[in-house]
Amino acid sequence: MAPAAIFLHGFGPRYDLPIAEWLYLYGAGGVVALSFVLVVVFGGDKVGTKAIEYPRRAVPSLIGFANSPWPRVVGGIVGVLSLAVVVVAGFFGSTRPELNPAEYFTWIFFWAATVILSGIVGNLWYLLNPWAALFDVISRAAPVRAARKLPDVGVWPATFFYLAFVCLELTSGMANRPWIVAIAAVVYSLVTLAGMAVFGRDEWLEHCEAFTVLFGIIGRFAPWEVERDASGRATMVYLRPWGVGLLQPYPAGWDRVVFVILMLSSLAFDGILATPAWQDFDIALEPIWLPMGSLGFFFVRTLGLLLLSVSFLLVFVAIMQLVIYFGSRKVELKTTVTAFALTLVPIALVYNAAHNYSYVLVQSQNILPLLNDPLGRGWHLFPSLAGFQPSFALAQAATVWYAQVILIVLGHVIAVYLSHLRAGERFRTAQRALLSQYPMLVLMIGYTMVSLSILAAPTTTGG
Amino acid sequence: MTRSRTAIVVVLVALFVVVGGVLIYANQSHGGQNVTINLTVTGASKMTPDNPSAHLNDEVTINIKSDTTGEVHLHGYDIPFDCTAGQVTSYTFKADKSGQFEIEWESTSTHLGFLVVS
Repeated sequence: MAPAAIFLHGFGPRYDLPIAEWLYLYGAGGVVALSFVLVVVFGGDKVGTKAIEYPRRAVPSLIGFANSPWPRVVGGIVGVLSLAVVVVAGFFGSTRPELNPAEYFTWIFFWAATVILSGIVGNLWYLLNPWAALFDVISRAAPVRAARKLPDVGVWPATFFYLAFVCLELTSGMANRPWIVAIAAVVYSLVTLAGMAVFGRDEWLEHCEAFTVLFGIIGRFAPWEVERDASGRATMVYLRPWGVGLLQPYPAGWDRVVFVILMLSSLAFDGILATPAWQDFDIALEPIWLPMGSLGFFFVRTLGLLLLSVSFLLVFVAIMQLVIYFGSRKVELKTTVTAFALTLVPIALVYNAAHNYSYVLVQSQNILPLLNDPLGRGWHLFPSLAGFQPSFALAQAATVWYAQVILIVLGHVIAVYLSHLRAGERFRTAQRALLSQYPMLVLMIGYTMVSLSILAAPTTTGG
Repeated sequence: MTRSRTAIVVVLVALFVVVGGVLIYANQSHGGQNVTINLTVTGASKMTPDNPSAHLNDEVTINIKSDTTGEVHLHGYDIPFDCTAGQVTSYTFKADKSGQFEIEWESTSTHLGFLVVS
């Protein structure tokens, strides 16, 4: 097996033990039982827009913070410096991924940790986006006017860039080569800056910049909500329960549905790579990909990712047809599918957190000894950190399992609840709304079981 | 009405969380034994057995006999075994981290197996 194949999510070995069988059964049983309790307890009592009203608390003391330019200045500096670390360390640092800060910044601090934190506290990418920050600085010095109008492309370009990034991470086999990561960062930076210059900053960010679209969705899960006036000034900041922001209006479109499904399928694929099921698939296709040489690895993994994504999409659309059938109301498929797609986001987010739990808590600590010699040049900048050994205090198997199962179940409960409220808003009577939720419940239990079973599957060297 | 329904769900979820915690705590292995693991590495590429295991807090002694000279590395615990062809190299340590830890032939990054600490 190629050495690259033993690395998971970008780079780095994985220490997690698969969840024990009895705990898996406990989690699975909990998911099913709580699902039915939710359906019975919240048996469709409200319909129309009332159904998706949620409690929120005004926090006027934060209006000043929301209007202050400083969070974005500080976030922008952190974002630009991090991008610089990825590029400089990627090109000039060690070629061993575990000794190169570019890998840590890209795959742990940005890809795993920023996503999880954004779900918990709010859209951090809005503050950190290095390209937006660079563009703002440049356009302050020399105002840039958009030369062209962006055609009506929805978020398809962002979906494409997101897929490309996921391919770099999971299917290219090159995510653990720091210089490849640096090249990707430079190319994407140039494309993004050029796109903003030609088509306008916000137009490009909202339709073509993969991470702005991604964190925009994740930020809806977070517990903060800012009301702005026409000029963009914050007039009020609200605290709301986690998840309910996903019920807010969202532009309808297959592009956005595909984006959300890709969020789910790429995460699942990351986990599936480490399971025996993937090994079997990989071996079954050997006659096709082996003759392709080094391209074979990329081919078989990309094929796996695309097949999984298409299956997820088809299953979702089929279930949505059933939801609409049971809801028995003539609704536009596209609008309804988009609205329900967002209710799956909690399942994706908690799976992400569960899957990356020990990665973020343990592997991230390996950056500390690297600070002594970040580029692998024999420097001694912080000799006291050189011998640092990561602490496993928060990542012993029992703690990891507990966190994983609890996270998965909580995410599932939030998703079922949101979907139920959404049905109330979409369909005319409470009974119809309730009826429409049975297929959705089956789908959500299915997705959650996939997440749990991946976490419980014996890990192979393929992951 | 909605408030009391929400309370029912919150109580049930809390119950699930607490029972899960108790179950995990009750099922935790308490280890503390002395465990000796004998491993044989052939051709710098194959190890038997390839999935040795121990329990958390065991005092583990690993003896490695290799037919090739070179380093066998236990990741996670970060222990290097500098093997000399035909001789046994030993190391004793406390298994204070749980998980599965890769064992590699260091110079070629060849995967030899996992030490599972549960």
